[in-house]
Amino acid sequence: MGENGQKQDIVTLTIDGREVTVPKGTTILQAAEAVGNRIPHYCYHPGLSAPAQCRLCLVEVEGAPKLAPSCITDVQDGQVVHTESASAKGMRQGVLEFYLANHPLDCPICDQSGECKLQDYVFEEGRKHGRSREPKRVFGRDDFGGDVLFYGDRCVMCTRCVRFMDEMAQDPRLTVVERGNRSIIDTFFEEGVEGAPYAGNIVDICPVGALVSKDFLHKARAWDLDHTPSVCPNCSQGCNIDLQTRDNLVQRLKPRPNLDVNQYWMCDYGRHRYEWMNRGDRIEAPLQRGAGGHEATDWPGVLEPIFTRMADGAAPVRALASPFASNEALAALVYLVQGLGGGEIVFRSPRADEEIPLPGFPKLTRRRDLVPNRRGAELLGLSRVGEEDGTGGLEELKDHSGTLIVLGDDLTDLESDFGAHASLYLYLGSHFPPAAAEADVVMPITTHAEEEGTFTNYEGRVQRFWPALQGPGAARPAWLPLSLLAAHLNGTTPPSGADEAFVRAGELAPEFQGLTYESIGTRGALVNEPVTLPGGKLRS
Amino acid sequence: MAATVKVMRRPEAGKTSYLRATLKGMQLTFKHLIRPGTVTVQYPEEEPEISPRWRGTHVMETHADGRPKCVACGLCPTVCPANCIRLVGGEDDMGNRYPIVYEIDEFRCIFCGMCQEVCPVEAIHVGVHFENAEYTRERFVYDLDRLMEQDHPSTLLWDPSDPRSE
Repeated sequence: MGENGQKQDIVTLTIDGREVTVPKGTTILQAAEAVGNRIPHYCYHPGLSAPAQCRLCLVEVEGAPKLAPSCITDVQDGQVVHTESASAKGMRQGVLEFYLANHPLDCPICDQSGECKLQDYVFEEGRKHGRSREPKRVFGRDDFGGDVLFYGDRCVMCTRCVRFMDEMAQDPRLTVVERGNRSIIDTFFEEGVEGAPYAGNIVDICPVGALVSKDFLHKARAWDLDHTPSVCPNCSQGCNIDLQTRDNLVQRLKPRPNLDVNQYWMCDYGRHRYEWMNRGDRIEAPLQRGAGGHEATDWPGVLEPIFTRMADGAAPVRALASPFASNEALAALVYLVQGLGGGEIVFRSPRADEEIPLPGFPKLTRRRDLVPNRRGAELLGLSRVGEEDGTGGLEELKDHSGTLIVLGDDLTDLESDFGAHASLYLYLGSHFPPAAAEADVVMPITTHAEEEGTFTNYEGRVQRFWPALQGPGAARPAWLPLSLLAAHLNGTTPPSGADEAFVRAGELAPEFQGLTYESIGTRGALVNEPVTLPGGKLRS
Repeated sequence: MAATVKVMRRPEAGKTSYLRATLKGMQLTFKHLIRPGTVTVQYPEEEPEISPRWRGTHVMETHADGRPKCVACGLCPTVCPANCIRLVGGEDDMGNRYPIVYEIDEFRCIFCGMCQEVCPVEAIHVGVHFENAEYTRERFVYDLDRLMEQDHPSTLLWDPSDPRSE
């Protein structure tokens, strides 16, 4: 769209009596959406081509011989559009009645119920009672492979799924077979969409309950779910997601549109890795190691002894962080290590063998780094150690005799004698691994689903996430105890919240300088300095 | 605005006879003593007749093969103002959606009957029944089996010949 301000590129038209000014080339549907008038539609999706076949977005354009499909009709200067006129409304009502002629109306057992566009449109404008007396055609349900289940009777033939596989995944596996009212979506081969890495998106874009997720089948009703904007933590792409929760459990992840990062999509790898956020065996209270093992205490009970022990003298410090920690937590750790006299901070992160790009939008790629904040850790001066599977690399830490701090790393490959030589061993984690047995103090921290914070994705885009779940017991965001310890050492005041903790990260890394929670917003903001992309290109 | 005070005239003590009022009351008493027909219901030997629109403890309707009619759509826990219904949906081996867990806490229930009204498959009903005594509090959380075993008639929420009360 041309936005150079030249007169011929700007079009002014009237939609339902309101004057709208939009760039040339905009469709009527998009122009109406810009002024908050949502024209009903099925086949149009902003990320896909528009075949104008659902016939639901027909609007009256003055001077045109018949109703025009607003999703493909470009705006023209002086155009007068009516979306609520008798003919447009009557047409929508008629089209909806045809949709319901073969629809099974099984809303009580349909997973889409509550977020179904057919339900919404019929409730708003449809007829109260159907007039069709013919028996409905019945297809039953079909397993499309992967996570996708197809209920043919509910389908409205918008072909969004077919077009997604053709245009975005560029792996045509679905098509329309048969004609007329027998037409139906089908797979070419028996395996269906099995193994297609982005196939989960066809469930998201299906406006009705024809394509549903097997993982979510009968799990929760759409209206029971709480929605929290978040960032996918499963690779360094940092797809914007909607964390959908119920009863303090994550039920499913859905992509949240962000044209700069993931458009409207996310990969199945990230989508299906949420169970770890629901893990139950959490550390619920700060633990202090005594003669008979760890004993639960409260936060002052663990922090005050550390204050005194840290004041004793400057032992050499080594720290291990997890790249699942937020920028705030990592910055607080850096401050603490600086306060203790400085030392090396390392992190371990697993790397996949290959990237999985989405061909229709190659910027969206399942990145090789399977952690959300590798970039943030590197900007804050942490260095990566260990193998490609996220293990090893801790030989120096194992035998370290000074102060040892572990933040969030599960230490799965280590034995229970880890840290036995350390004079002070602090473990901050959400779960208690065997390798924390020697820790003097274990502090319970929240996961990214339970706290507010930011991640920095592969290209240096800082993105915020919000708390979706209630953390267990006395678990706190990792930046909080770390900042308290650092503030005590450095003689400063600890940050009052995650937003201030992030601003303080800017004092450590110039890349974060000037960024605030407000300026990052829900869309994210790029860090200041040019960063090197995996392909070697520079981006400012 | 000035408040108006209504002055009540009370009979003065010692100056009023209560004889007339007493006789009037006794007249009614003796009338009932000799009137044919009794007022006392001989419960529990005799069951009192209660209204068909009485809303008592719940009944779950079943199919002929013994499965519950419930399809676990989740509307009754959604509409329930007392939040007394717990429902976990699932899929049985025939591919039908059904309730794995369906529990109603009858102590929490306020017997509004909205669960029956909202049910799209006419599965859950409030019942014409009032004898609910139990020995433990736990027994008042009715699970699915208990709800299906209830054999009392279900409530008529409206008159079938006049559903809109016209």
